[in-house]
Amino acid sequence: MVVRAFLVMLAAVLALPLGAEAQKPIKVGFPMIMSGPGALFGEPAAKGAQMFVDEINAKGGVLGRKLELLVRDTKGNADEAVRVSRELILKENVDFLVGTLTSAEGPAVSVVAKENQVVFIAPIPKTDQLTAPDKLHPYVFRVAATTTMEGRSAAEIVAKWPVTTVATISPDYAYGQDVTRAFVEHLKKIKPAVQIVDQQWPKLGEADYTPFINAQLAKKPQAVFSSLWGGHFVTFAKQAKPLGYFDAIKYNFIGVGEAASPESTKSMGKDYPVGIWGNSYDAFYWEGPPAHKDYVARLSKYLRDEYPSSWAIQGYIGLQFLTEAIRKANGTDSDKVSKALLGLTVDTPIGKQTIRAKDHQANRGQLYGKTVMDPKYPFAIMKPIEYVDPTKFID
Amino acid sequence: MRLRRLPWPLVVLVAAFFVPALGSRFYTFVANDVAIWALFATSLNLMVGYTGLVSFGHAAYFGIGAYTTGLLMKKAGVSFLLAFPAAGLLAGAFALVFGFFCVRLTRIYFAMLTLAFAQIVWAICFKWNEVTGGEQGMPEIPYPSFDWMEGLAAVVPLVGGYRTSEYFYFLTLVLVAACLWLLHRIVDSPFGRMLTAIRENAERAEFIGINVRRYELAAFVLAGGFAGLAGGLFGIFNRGVFPDFVYWTKSSEVLIMTLLGGMGSFHGPSLGALVLILLNQQIVSYTEYWPLVLGTILVVLLFGFPGGLAGAAGALWTRAAGRFRRA
Amino acid sequence: MLDPSFLFAQSLSGLTAAMFLFLIASGLSLVFGVLRVLNFAHGTFYMLGAYSAYQIVLWIGPGPGTFWVAALGAALGIAVLGGLIERLLFRHLYGKEELYHLLFTYALVLILSDAAKILWGTQQKSVSRPPGLAGAFTLFGVTVPYYNLFILLLGPAIALGFWFMLQRTRVGRFIRAAALDRETLGTLGVNVSGLYTGVFVLASFLGGLGGALVTPVRTIVPGMDTEIIVEAFVVVVIGGLGSFWGTFLGALIYGQVLSFGILLFPRFSIFSVFALMAAVLILRPWGLLGRPLK
Repeated sequence: MVVRAFLVMLAAVLALPLGAEAQKPIKVGFPMIMSGPGALFGEPAAKGAQMFVDEINAKGGVLGRKLELLVRDTKGNADEAVRVSRELILKENVDFLVGTLTSAEGPAVSVVAKENQVVFIAPIPKTDQLTAPDKLHPYVFRVAATTTMEGRSAAEIVAKWPVTTVATISPDYAYGQDVTRAFVEHLKKIKPAVQIVDQQWPKLGEADYTPFINAQLAKKPQAVFSSLWGGHFVTFAKQAKPLGYFDAIKYNFIGVGEAASPESTKSMGKDYPVGIWGNSYDAFYWEGPPAHKDYVARLSKYLRDEYPSSWAIQGYIGLQFLTEAIRKANGTDSDKVSKALLGLTVDTPIGKQTIRAKDHQANRGQLYGKTVMDPKYPFAIMKPIEYVDPTKFID
Repeated sequence: MRLRRLPWPLVVLVAAFFVPALGSRFYTFVANDVAIWALFATSLNLMVGYTGLVSFGHAAYFGIGAYTTGLLMKKAGVSFLLAFPAAGLLAGAFALVFGFFCVRLTRIYFAMLTLAFAQIVWAICFKWNEVTGGEQGMPEIPYPSFDWMEGLAAVVPLVGGYRTSEYFYFLTLVLVAACLWLLHRIVDSPFGRMLTAIRENAERAEFIGINVRRYELAAFVLAGGFAGLAGGLFGIFNRGVFPDFVYWTKSSEVLIMTLLGGMGSFHGPSLGALVLILLNQQIVSYTEYWPLVLGTILVVLLFGFPGGLAGAAGALWTRAAGRFRRA
Repeated sequence: MLDPSFLFAQSLSGLTAAMFLFLIASGLSLVFGVLRVLNFAHGTFYMLGAYSAYQIVLWIGPGPGTFWVAALGAALGIAVLGGLIERLLFRHLYGKEELYHLLFTYALVLILSDAAKILWGTQQKSVSRPPGLAGAFTLFGVTVPYYNLFILLLGPAIALGFWFMLQRTRVGRFIRAAALDRETLGTLGVNVSGLYTGVFVLASFLGGLGGALVTPVRTIVPGMDTEIIVEAFVVVVIGGLGSFWGTFLGALIYGQVLSFGILLFPRFSIFSVFALMAAVLILRPWGLLGRPLK
C-alpha cells in the first residue's frame, strides 16, 4: 500500500513538469546556408520548412505542441555549420536538427548529432559519405537524393540515347567527383559499348568555362553529362551556347545538380540552352500526385511567387518526416523518434516517400526531362517530365 | 588602485575553471571557443602588434596545426600528447619556410605574400582528397582519452564525473594558459623589446646592430607555432578539420578580433576574442545579417577606438581614476 | 592536341578572360598606385555593378540600347558610391597605418555584400547579351562570339585611353606625381584631396563597369565579390602593384595560364595561380613592370 501511494505521489509530482512541458514548443534547429552562392538553395529550403511549420501550427501543432523553427546561417562552411549546430543544441535546446546543404556540412553536422544524440535530418546534401555504413549512426537521416542515385538515374537516361562517345564536365570537389563517378560506372555497366572520351574538371566557382568548353569540343563527344549546379551551370551555359557547344553535341546534354530547375531556366529566360536534359527536385508545373497541385498553390501564396521555388520542397519534406516521426513516437525523445523514422512512409506532396531502415536514406528520386519552350511561360520547362524512382538502383 | 594589483590573468583562469559548474553546457562550449581563439589572436598579435608585421595569412598556420593534430589522431591513432606539440612544430616549420621569404618584403608586399602562401595551403587542403579529405575535410576527430582523469578521480576528489567535452575544456584552459604565459614571457623578454624596437623604427633598429630580418623571422615562426597549437586544439573542439580553416576570410576574422581587443596590449586580443564570440552568439539569434553588424562594428572601431577595447578601457580607467583621486 | 585551330581557340579564350580581368584589376591597381591602399571592396564594387546593371535592365525593359544604358548607368552609380565612401569615410584614415586601410575596405566588403543581399535577395540573376552581339562568327575554324570580340577590343581601348590620360593630360600628370610623392605635390598647390577622390571615383567606375560587362557571360550571385577579388589581387601583384601596363600584362599572363594550364595540369588551376603569385612576390616583389616602393 505504502509503495503504491508513493508511486501515485511520484507520478503526480512528475506529471506536473510534464504537463508544463507539453505546452512548450518543439524546437527544430535549421542550420542552412543563407549567404553566398549556395543561398540560392538554402533560402527557399528554409522557407519551405517554415511554411510547413506555420501550416501545422495553424492546425494545432504536433501532440498539442507547436513547432518552432530556428534558422541559422552556416555560410556554406563546415566549421560554421558545426558551430551553429552546437549552439542550437546547447543554447537554444533544440530537440531536432534539420538542415545543411554542402557535402562538407552534412557529415560534419552528423558528428555533432551523434555526440549529442539529436536526430538530424539532412534535406539537401547528396554525398554518399553521409549515410555510408561506417558513418551511419542512429540519429542521422537523409531525405535528399544521393550522388549514387542521381548519377545512376542520369546514366539510365543517357543509356537510351543513340550515342557511344560520352564526356563529362563537373566541378572538381566531392559532389562533382562522386556523382560523375556514379554516372560513369553505371553507364558502363548498363551499356558497355559506351566510351568516355573526355572528362573536364573546372574548379568549383569557375568564372570562365571557355577553355574547358574548347577542350571538350576538341574531343568530339556525342553526349555530355554535367553536374555543374546553380549559378555555375548558368554561367557555363551562357558561355557554351554562343560557342556552338550544344549544337555540336546535338543537345545530347544532361545536367544533374538541378540544371533544369525552374530557378535556373527562369533566371536565364530565352538564353537557356533549350533542348538539353536536366533534373530538378520539384517543378511547379509538374502534374504529380494530387497533393502536389495544392502544395504548389499554397507555396505560391506563401512565397508570393507565381512560379515558386523547387527547393522549398526539401525543407518541407524534412519537417514532414520529422513531424510524422514525433507523432508516431508520441513524444520528442531522440531514441524513440529515431526508431520511428526507420521504415517510415510519409505522403509528401511529391508522392509517398520511405526512409529505409537499412541506411536511413529516403527513396528520393528527382524529376527528369527534356527542356522545351512552352508558350505558357517566359522560360523553358521540362516536357515530358518524369519522376525517376531510384528504388531499383539505390544500392 | 588596489584592484589593479590583483593578478588578473590568474583570477580569470581560476574563474574559467568554474564555468562548467554553472551547469550549462553552452557556457562551457563558448568558453572553450573563446580560449582557443584567444590564443590564436594573441599569436597573431605577436606579429601585428609587437613586431608591426601585418599578416593576411595567419590562418594558414592555424589550419596546418589543425590538420596535423587531426591527421595524427584520426588516421594514425597517435596520442594527443604527441599530436598536440606536433601541431605547433609543423606549423612553426611551415612558418619558417614561408616566413623566410615573407620577411624579405615590406608592408603591403609582406601582407600579399602571406596571403598567397595561405591560399596555397588552402588549395592543397581543398584538393588533396586522399590525405586531407579535400573539400569535405575530416569530420570526427577523436577527443583525447581522459580515462586517466577518471582513474585519478578515485584518489583525488572533485576531478571526476565530467563529460568528455568538459575534460577537454579543462585541458584547453591549461594548455592555452601555459601558451599565453609563454607568449607573455617572450614579449617581456629582451627579445620581445627588440621586436617592439623594430616595429617603432626598423631602420634605427638596424643601425644599432639588430638583425631585423632574423628577429622578424623569429617572431613569424613563434606566431605560426602558437597559431598551430591553437589550431590543434580547435580541430578537436570543432569535431572536425575543414579547408575553411585556412581560407583568407579566416585570416581576416582573427585580424578583426585582434584589432577589436586592442593590439597595444598583451591581453587585448583575448578580450577581442571574448567580445566578438559573445556578440556573434547573441546577434545570430536575431538576424542573419551578422556580416553587416560586424562590418559596422569594424568601421566604428577604426574611426572611434583605434586602440580597440583594451585601449578604450584603459583610457576610461585612467580618466575614472583621475576623477577619483581628485574627489 | 596540336591542332592549330584548337590552340588558337584556347589562346583566344585566355585573351578574353584577360580583358575581363584587366577591366576589374585596373581600378584596383590605380587606387593602389596613387593612394597606396589595397582595396578589398573593389570586388564588391564589381558585384554591385553587376546587380545594378541587372536592375536597370529590368527597369527599362528589353530594347536595342538597354544593355549599354544599363552598363553605363551601373558604372556611374558605383562611381558615385565610391566617391561618397571616399569623401565621407575613407579620407579620415589616410594618416593611419596600412592595417587600418585594409580592415576598413574589408568592413566595406561585409557591409555592402549584406546590403546587396537585402536589396536583391539570394536568387541568381542573369542578363542577356545585347541584341547586336548575341551571335558568333567563325575565324580560322574557331567560333568567336561577337560579345567576346567586343570585350577583346574594349580592353585595349580602355588601356590606351588610360595611358593617354596618364601621359598626356594635366590630371594624368598629377596622378603620376601623386603616386611618386604626394607631399611635394601638395606643397605645389595641387588639390591632392580632390585628386584622391577623383582617383577613387574613377577606380569605382571601372569596378562597376567590369561588373556590368560580365553580366552577359556570367551569373550574378551573392559571393561573386570574394571570388573575384583574390583573382584581381593575383593579376595586380604579377604585373606590379600600381603599375598600369603591369596590370595589363598580369591579366594577359593569368588568362593564358588558365587557358593552357587546364590542358597540362587540369586539376591544379586553383593551386597554380597562387603559386605564380607567390613566385612573383618572392623573385620580384614589385611585379613584372612595377617599380620598387621607396
